[in-house]
Amino acid sequence: IDPTFQLNQAIITSSPGYNNLTYEVTIVRQMITPFQGVGTGGNLNQDNRAATQGNWYTYYETIIKNLVDGLSALEDMPERTNLEHIMKIWKAHAFIVLTDTYGDIPYTEAGKGYIDGVVFPKYDSQESIYTSILNDLEAAVQGLNDSNDDIGQEVMYSGNIEQWKRLGNSLLLRAGMRLSKVDPSSAAAYASKAVAGGLMQSNDDNAVVRHNADYRNGVGTNLNGGQAPFYYLDKELVDFFKANEDPRLTSIGVRYVGALSGNDQVEANAVRTFDAQIGMPQGYDNTTIIPVVQQEGLASLFDYSQLDRSRMGNPEAPNFLVTYSQTLLLWAEAAYRGWAPGDPEELYHAGIRAHMEQMALWENSMAISSEEIDSYIAAHPLEVGKELELINTQYWVSSFLIGHEAWSNFRRSGYPILTPNPYPGSDLKDEDFIRRLTYPDSELTVNKENIDVATSRMGPDILDTRVWWDVKQ
Amino acid sequence: NTAKSIEDVKIRMDFLEGNLKDLLGNIESKTDYRFFYTDQAVKDSEVLTLDRSKGTVADILKELARLKNLHFKQVNNNISVKYLGENQDQNKVEIVLERADINVKGKVTDKSGEPIPGAAISVIGTTVGTITDIDGNFSLTVPEDGELMVSYIGFTTQRIQINSRSIINVTLEENIAGLEEVVVTALGIKREAKSLGYATSTVESEEMTINRTPNFINSLQGKVAGVNISSMGSGPQGSSKIRIRGVSSFGGNNSPLIVVNGVPIDNTNFGVSGDVSEVGSNRRSDSGDGLSSINPDDITSMSVLKGAAASALYGARAKDGVIMITTRNRASGSGIQIELNTNYTNDTPLDFTDYQYEYGQGEGGLRPTSARPVSGVWSFGEKIEPGMTQILFDGIEVPYTAQPNKIRDYYRNGSTLSNTVTLSSGGENGGFSLSVANMDSKAILPGSNYNRKTINLGFTQNINKLTVSGNINYSKEDRINPPNIAEQDFSPVVIYTLASTMPLDLLEQYAFDENGDEFPYSRFTNRTNPYFALSRFENNIRDRVYGNITARYDITDWLYVQGRFGQDFYSRDSEYNLPTGSQRQSSPPPGFVNGQYVQDIRRFREVNTDFLLGMNKSFGDFGLMVNLGGNQMYRKLDVNTLLGENFYTRDLYTIGNASKITTNYSISERQVNSLYGSTELSWKGYLYLNGTVRNDWFSTLSPANRSIVYPSITGSFVFSQAFENLPNWMTFGKIRVAYAEVGSDTDVQPYANNLFYNINQQQFPNSNGVAQPVGSVSGSVVPNSNLRPMRVREKEIGLEMTLFDNLRFEVSYYDKLSSDQILQAQISNGSGYVNQLINVGESENKGVEMYANISPIKTADFEWNFGANASYNQSKVLSLGDDVDGSFITVGLAEFHGELRQEVGKPMAQLYGWGYLRDEQGRQVFDPNSGRPLRSNEQLNFGSAIPVWVGGFTNSFNYKKLSFSFLIDFKLGHKMISGTHTNAYRHGLDKATLVGREQGYVVGDGVNPNGEINTAQAPVQTYYETIRSGRMSEQSVFNAGSWQLRQLTLGYDLSSLIPQNNFIKGLRFNVVSNNVAVIKKWVPHIHPDQNGIISDNMAGLEATGLPVTRSIGFNLNVKF
Repeated sequence: IDPTFQLNQAIITSSPGYNNLTYEVTIVRQMITPFQGVGTGGNLNQDNRAATQGNWYTYYETIIKNLVDGLSALEDMPERTNLEHIMKIWKAHAFIVLTDTYGDIPYTEAGKGYIDGVVFPKYDSQESIYTSILNDLEAAVQGLNDSNDDIGQEVMYSGNIEQWKRLGNSLLLRAGMRLSKVDPSSAAAYASKAVAGGLMQSNDDNAVVRHNADYRNGVGTNLNGGQAPFYYLDKELVDFFKANEDPRLTSIGVRYVGALSGNDQVEANAVRTFDAQIGMPQGYDNTTIIPVVQQEGLASLFDYSQLDRSRMGNPEAPNFLVTYSQTLLLWAEAAYRGWAPGDPEELYHAGIRAHMEQMALWENSMAISSEEIDSYIAAHPLEVGKELELINTQYWVSSFLIGHEAWSNFRRSGYPILTPNPYPGSDLKDEDFIRRLTYPDSELTVNKENIDVATSRMGPDILDTRVWWDVKQ
Repeated sequence: NTAKSIEDVKIRMDFLEGNLKDLLGNIESKTDYRFFYTDQAVKDSEVLTLDRSKGTVADILKELARLKNLHFKQVNNNISVKYLGENQDQNKVEIVLERADINVKGKVTDKSGEPIPGAAISVIGTTVGTITDIDGNFSLTVPEDGELMVSYIGFTTQRIQINSRSIINVTLEENIAGLEEVVVTALGIKREAKSLGYATSTVESEEMTINRTPNFINSLQGKVAGVNISSMGSGPQGSSKIRIRGVSSFGGNNSPLIVVNGVPIDNTNFGVSGDVSEVGSNRRSDSGDGLSSINPDDITSMSVLKGAAASALYGARAKDGVIMITTRNRASGSGIQIELNTNYTNDTPLDFTDYQYEYGQGEGGLRPTSARPVSGVWSFGEKIEPGMTQILFDGIEVPYTAQPNKIRDYYRNGSTLSNTVTLSSGGENGGFSLSVANMDSKAILPGSNYNRKTINLGFTQNINKLTVSGNINYSKEDRINPPNIAEQDFSPVVIYTLASTMPLDLLEQYAFDENGDEFPYSRFTNRTNPYFALSRFENNIRDRVYGNITARYDITDWLYVQGRFGQDFYSRDSEYNLPTGSQRQSSPPPGFVNGQYVQDIRRFREVNTDFLLGMNKSFGDFGLMVNLGGNQMYRKLDVNTLLGENFYTRDLYTIGNASKITTNYSISERQVNSLYGSTELSWKGYLYLNGTVRNDWFSTLSPANRSIVYPSITGSFVFSQAFENLPNWMTFGKIRVAYAEVGSDTDVQPYANNLFYNINQQQFPNSNGVAQPVGSVSGSVVPNSNLRPMRVREKEIGLEMTLFDNLRFEVSYYDKLSSDQILQAQISNGSGYVNQLINVGESENKGVEMYANISPIKTADFEWNFGANASYNQSKVLSLGDDVDGSFITVGLAEFHGELRQEVGKPMAQLYGWGYLRDEQGRQVFDPNSGRPLRSNEQLNFGSAIPVWVGGFTNSFNYKKLSFSFLIDFKLGHKMISGTHTNAYRHGLDKATLVGREQGYVVGDGVNPNGEINTAQAPVQTYYETIRSGRMSEQSVFNAGSWQLRQLTLGYDLSSLIPQNNFIKGLRFNVVSNNVAVIKKWVPHIHPDQNGIISDNMAGLEATGLPVTRSIGFNLNVKF
């Protein structure tokens, strides 16, 4: 088949699944479930091996497999360079997600079970993976050329080469900035290159999976199915919105006031007003939270605010993967650090604006008026001395539901300042937050020799171990 | 007419020197006398010298008797010669004269009254003899005080004193020694049992018809040495797992080949994780296998060929043995017969749960005090006290009381009724048999039923030297709602996980909300309400026609040619729904309702065409049998599937009502061409040498690897016939040896050497809204174009003996080496794939099969018969070959935890799973903060999932017309990881989780990682739940063995009560019971056979199946 079809599959499959809520979204305190069982993970600070392997399986068995296979087929089609480059751009995105989640992973030998017969791939160091990703992105962006092959069948930008270049540079910025702790000079160099190369220019450039009735949003389908009463907006997120009078709260949240049980979470009880929203605190399970609920004067735990499943949590809602807003905020940080041209505050405000404008892309009723945006921006200058915190806290909001990116940027930047999950009986040894997810049990079983090499380099296969770029400061 | 006494006849001998035979021959030539040697040994070549040449015959004989210590007895003109022992004083010549010959008539029948045509009748000490006609009648002129000897193959020879009677009816007993037993061997070639160099077992049709099971093969569990039959926990319509001599290949297919009347039929199993994975979510039902369409009443005999030597002529698919079934093709006697067989059983579900009912539903020590979502499954609530209430569903307050009878209350009693009418006729040149049967089986799950209708027509006709025979079987199997098993979604086995105070009646009452959606009772949405789950439907209808036509032409009496054409064809129409409105599914797009509807139609065809040229000729003491043949096997399967989702109209499950339709069509073909030959050389009827060779060409393998030649050689020595001076009590004795090889491609699916791609049915819109194709690599198995056929090499040696006429035993030892196995081995997902298809290493199965049968008491009225069989099988993985890194491969993963591996140096099918961390002193280690058990650093080995010992004991007692028998079977020496137990444990149902409830925390018995005694308190629920997040198996490992009282049968033969000449000729009534009792088991909460998953790759990874049933009923057999 045409490798473009495989690229399309890889793009669609990159949309975060429900398992994203178990760890990534919970670790950065955006959403939380108080329930144990299938949802056990970041909420209880436990190493739930059934859940930590989610990204691994999705990425390697579908995304990486098809991209590697398609790229291999393209070796016989030397004229299709544009397709090759955009597949490499998307492959870079995939490996960023994978290596940020687990640390050292199969990279050079990944996805080659059929092509090269490598069925027990070796693990590459995250450092070498990032080096390769950065090189690939740079080369791909430079190689894209409107006068070469037509890539009109790809679904992301309908074959628009310029937009792919902007995505490539935006990813280059993202990957480069990831090194800010471990290798600031490289981070600076790549940030500068990325900005010079041309980043995303509007929300039209967002990398997004536009779900529909046939290809639905995994988070949305679960939150509209039986999992509806289980996930709540985290208190820290809601408190942030409230403290800052952030209008995005009314776009994102809903509270079924007075709900005694999941049965009461019906539209008749839905309240979407700003003041009504109450986030659920971390550190409790569904039985230990009962006194807290009473203290807060709520009817039950089902009375806390939730992601509005009729809008942002709709089964057909789009899933954003790389956004204009995120890119602007990263640029703002790079500019602040002096690694790239530009005015940090302008970029910071543009980043906030872009995300607020992005709300309308989910649904018109979520749109935030330009007046509201203007007044929010006016009230939120980039305060001197708090630049990094402010920029990265906005990045955290901007990355809502993009769990992987919110978590990675939190680990990199240290912002927002979050309270560690106080739930007793944590599986964490020394760290306050989960720094990586554990490898799948199947890998520990069949590919142990290669894992042993990885863990001797990186550290033990536990939730505490920091990935290469996440050096302790 | 009267004979003269030897004392009155004078003779002059022509010579005085010679051996006994020559001397007596000289007498014969001069008189009317005939000599008979009752002792062949006296006919030796010793030269005797007579002192006299003249005298009476008696004088001559007396002298001979003296010279050679012989005894002569004259009966009329017949003189018998016998060797006398040393120092015997008795008369050496006896004369019995002037006894009148009389005419004797009679009929020879078997125990059931069936006439035996062709039985040999002879008068002892004479040449007089005859054989019975087609009705078993005979007529003979004999001396009135003579003794008749009546013999027939397969029956004990009888001696009967005539005592001047003119009518003598003889009832022959079946001969347990089976000296002259004829066995139908590979390709339908009939051979004498004593000539075989390998083990076979024959199963009488009564074993399948009197105490029967819906899938007839299940009733043979424990009855055949070396054959391990496992009925699954899947209900009456389910499939059966048969393994002969262990498991030869690491994964994949280890089922024996099923051959009906010489032609293979398909035995694809539609069990959970079986041969077929069907389209549709949560579709985990078991809808039977190929054997399930056979009506046991049509079977006349079944033999099991166990080893590679026995099955070598069948080639690839017979690497795990062959089950050969012969169906009726004529009446057993002459004339027209009608037979009616009725069988009814009532089936009671057996509840083995051993749960705690002290603490009720709840979490964290609290009972549910607000409505949804309660867990529905966790029993970590409060101690149950009178007067307590719990709040369930949308706020209903009900008493907080124990609900211990859920299994019995949810399931109904099942029943099975089957009726078979058989019309048959037989005559000199052939006959036919036609049967029509109906079986209705009601499963214990409400709404689940199984109906099977079969028609079987068999015929055989001789036209001079041509014999044409054939059979056509038609079966229609309707499986209505086969239960969803081995999972919790949409499954009736979710009952096993419900909380201890969860009331069933409320679940039934609140199965649906006002919209018809599932009313949530548990926040675990996959635990579908078992009453809502009843709105799931599945209908599988299989129409099947199989049969063959054989023409055999006897060119001469020692040479024949035979052609055969057989076909097995079925179409299987299936429909399935996932009911709208379950909690499990995501909500549909606006304007639609969710759910699924699947229609699939599969058409299967297997055609076998073969020819055989056979000769069988004696040359003096030598016999030679040669067969040359060829076979072409062609299989084709095509499947159309339609999957509909997002319905326009609620509760209308049709494809037309679906807005999203996914269609699929798949086709596969495979062919095996074969040429083969076999030869048997025999000497004096007691020494046999057999050899076969077969060449297969497999279409599934690459041209370079597809041809394989494999031989077999066997020998048989009947020492009881070879040595004449063996003690009398040694009735029969035989030693056999065999070596055989078989090649196989059975684990290779067609086209497994190529990578395929799939283009999604639904396109995906690009940023401009234009739909674009989406596609991907299809499948998760790395293809391999260099596969070689698997090869099995087996050595076998056996001893068969019969002592004192009533003790028969047989012992076989085999050593089976399987190499180049074709396997889907688990690989790193990092490769993009989950499994790869490779040739791997070697494994061996060594074992002993034993069989013994004895009648300790045998009188005219009473007989006690005791039969025992046992097989011991020890497997070992020898190597994994060059394609595998490391010392093991993982072949199967359980859904939640536990896996199955093949590991070098260990028996096959090793269970592995995570366990508890222990320090060097073996003390369990707990987390110092949380108090929860820590997980072992690597997966632990729990042993093999394959039983080492399999067997059974049958005791049968006959008193006059009353019979009683019972069967005890056993399977021992294997392990399982019980998924049912895991759920019971983590949910707080298992009694072990009562520890710590009182104080509200558990302090694990062990140490912390620093080696100090653990004092950390873990909350009760969190503590016991750890096994879920840690995916730990250790606490759920059990001995999988069992001893079971499998069958009881009490019968009465009413035939003798029927007046003579009544239109009813035979009437037999039996009271039967199956799965009577489990005498010993080790796994808690379930019946040892209750596993829902059939795959060998998941052996021992138990997932809850439907409760096993105890059936009690009757069987009525009437002959007209």
